[in-house]
Amino acid sequence: MRKVFDDYRVLSDESLKPDEPRVEKFLQAMKKSLQKKDNWTFWLPYTLSLDTCMKCGTCAEVCPVYLASGKKDIYHPVYRSDMLRKVYKRYFTLPGRLFPALVGAEDLTEEKLNAMAENIYRCTICRRCAYVCPVAIDNGVIAREARKIFDAIDIAPDELKKNGTQKQIKFGNATGTPANAFLDMIEFLEEEIEDTKGYKVKIPVDKEGAEYLLMHNAGDYLAFAETVMGAAEVMDAAGVDWTLNSPATGVNDAVNYGVFYSDVEFTNVLKAHVETAKKMGIKTLVVGECGHAYEALKYLMLRLIPPAERPFEVKSILELEDEWIREGRIKVNPEKNPEPVTYHDSCKLGRLGGMYEEPRRILKACCQDFRELTPNREMSICCGGGSGFAIMEKGDFRKFRMETYGKLKAEQLKASGASIIALACSNCKGQFREIINYYRLPVRFAGISELIANALVR
Amino acid sequence: MALWELFTIAILPYLAIAVLVLGLGYKIIYWLKAPVNLHWELFPYPRTSGEQAGELLTEVFTLRSLYMHNRRIWLPSLVMHYGIYLVVFWLLFLVVGLPLAVYLGVTGGCLVAAGSLLLFLSRLINPELRRISEPVEYLNLAFLFLLAVAGLIGGVFRDFSFRTYIISLLTLKPHLSLPDNYLFFLLLFWLFMLYIPFTRMAHFAVKYFTYHKVKWGEME
Repeated sequence: MRKVFDDYRVLSDESLKPDEPRVEKFLQAMKKSLQKKDNWTFWLPYTLSLDTCMKCGTCAEVCPVYLASGKKDIYHPVYRSDMLRKVYKRYFTLPGRLFPALVGAEDLTEEKLNAMAENIYRCTICRRCAYVCPVAIDNGVIAREARKIFDAIDIAPDELKKNGTQKQIKFGNATGTPANAFLDMIEFLEEEIEDTKGYKVKIPVDKEGAEYLLMHNAGDYLAFAETVMGAAEVMDAAGVDWTLNSPATGVNDAVNYGVFYSDVEFTNVLKAHVETAKKMGIKTLVVGECGHAYEALKYLMLRLIPPAERPFEVKSILELEDEWIREGRIKVNPEKNPEPVTYHDSCKLGRLGGMYEEPRRILKACCQDFRELTPNREMSICCGGGSGFAIMEKGDFRKFRMETYGKLKAEQLKASGASIIALACSNCKGQFREIINYYRLPVRFAGISELIANALVR
Repeated sequence: MALWELFTIAILPYLAIAVLVLGLGYKIIYWLKAPVNLHWELFPYPRTSGEQAGELLTEVFTLRSLYMHNRRIWLPSLVMHYGIYLVVFWLLFLVVGLPLAVYLGVTGGCLVAAGSLLLFLSRLINPELRRISEPVEYLNLAFLFLLAVAGLIGGVFRDFSFRTYIISLLTLKPHLSLPDNYLFFLLLFWLFMLYIPFTRMAHFAVKYFTYHKVKWGEME
């Protein structure tokens, strides 16, 4: 794959088609993106952010990619937003048409289009910059809208579209796991719990009308099974009426990669989630340890699907676990987790989800030595796994993730002195797995549910 | 009296005020009519109107975001903004007839001049800022600087009798006899008013939407 922006490539040649003319199609799609009626979902923050950046550079001061890259111009958040903004000014504003040089309006060329398509996938949309912007301009929403425009002309990372949302709709999960294989996996996990913990836990599957339908990121069953087993142990210990679901019931994967790049794909997956929950007649859809799935189902869904069409509650598993520990419904002994533990705030759960206290209360109850990363909470540094980056490998992209976001997280982690990093998001887990290997850190990562399960007093 | 003088003193003010009011009004209504976006709040955020007002005033009067995260331009920016606030109060005090107005005017003019000059130089000297700056950024700061300097040198800010002219405008009987050295300031001043709605300097109005409708949102 030839270079089109920096040393990396997330878009395959089949998707980007770097040598074909696409400018006209892009401009048409962009025109549509600026229409209220065609693109109402984020029209207000999108147009305000295109129009009103004061170019003060405050965003750059907190941008993990920019800072970790040694302040490379191309990774400046305004440089990235300006790639789209210059096109916006040139083709869609009067001052840009009349005085292009004065306001920085520029023609779009095929090469600029290539570079923009790649650069919008160097930002995880962690929105740390939007949090500190004096005018609350959102470079994240600009990157996401640009991704939507590109998707509208069929340019999107394979991991998110072909092997992501589209696979999920087809198979019920983005891992492509069929129902029988899923059931075998559950059986294996039950045996694994018995072997390692010495007690039996029954994991209910496809139970209709249950109080709680727990939906994990399906990748967790393959990559982070400890989290899945931990959650099952907690559910079992709490003695609640719960179930997992297999793809035979519809969608059994909490992820929704549409959050990262397309409202159309996002809505398709979301509707499939809702249909599955309705079909199963459950009362509460419990989102497993997955940041963007929580954002999608807890917040983004609210104005997309009318309340009458979603007759169930949505909760994060962290909310329930926190509640049950506080109520004494499950008993935990922190001495069972004696090592120093720290917590990384997933952007989607924290800045975008407001869930700061629940994981902290849980960890303080379950671990003897809990310590904070600095900075944390709303100023938490994105790990670099967000926006689906954790599953993007080709074009040497892992190196990009490690040398930018990963570098900062490794430094933070070392400074904390913790030997366990607790994580509540699958993308974060995927990214930290790599960070720990890449930087050879004497640390292991663990899911929150796994740490609770370790501390359970049965 | 030359035609351009007559235009500057008696016609441009009404034109500028009309464009300012209509332009800003149009923008505000345009955004008020925006469809309600999907939830896109950033946590934590102030929930009650009291908390929101508190946060807004803190930001307006201390530029806290810059202080916390972009300290090197905080002071020049704060100086310029305080200068603008004082010049606005200069005008209000003149209308009301408080002699204190001249102190506000002179101080405000000095602060605007100093702040805009420092910000202009920061943009020019700091490579990170220079790279993201378009010519219009320099133009806006130069405009503010010239305006303040013209007011200071021309003597408008320290002249309480300038009130007569303001009142004459308000009563729709514009006073035509003004010292010549006020004209350049007036020309710039009214052109500036006319220019505001077309620029990002209208960000004081935009902030309502970016904060209240997006960053702080409205949870149901």
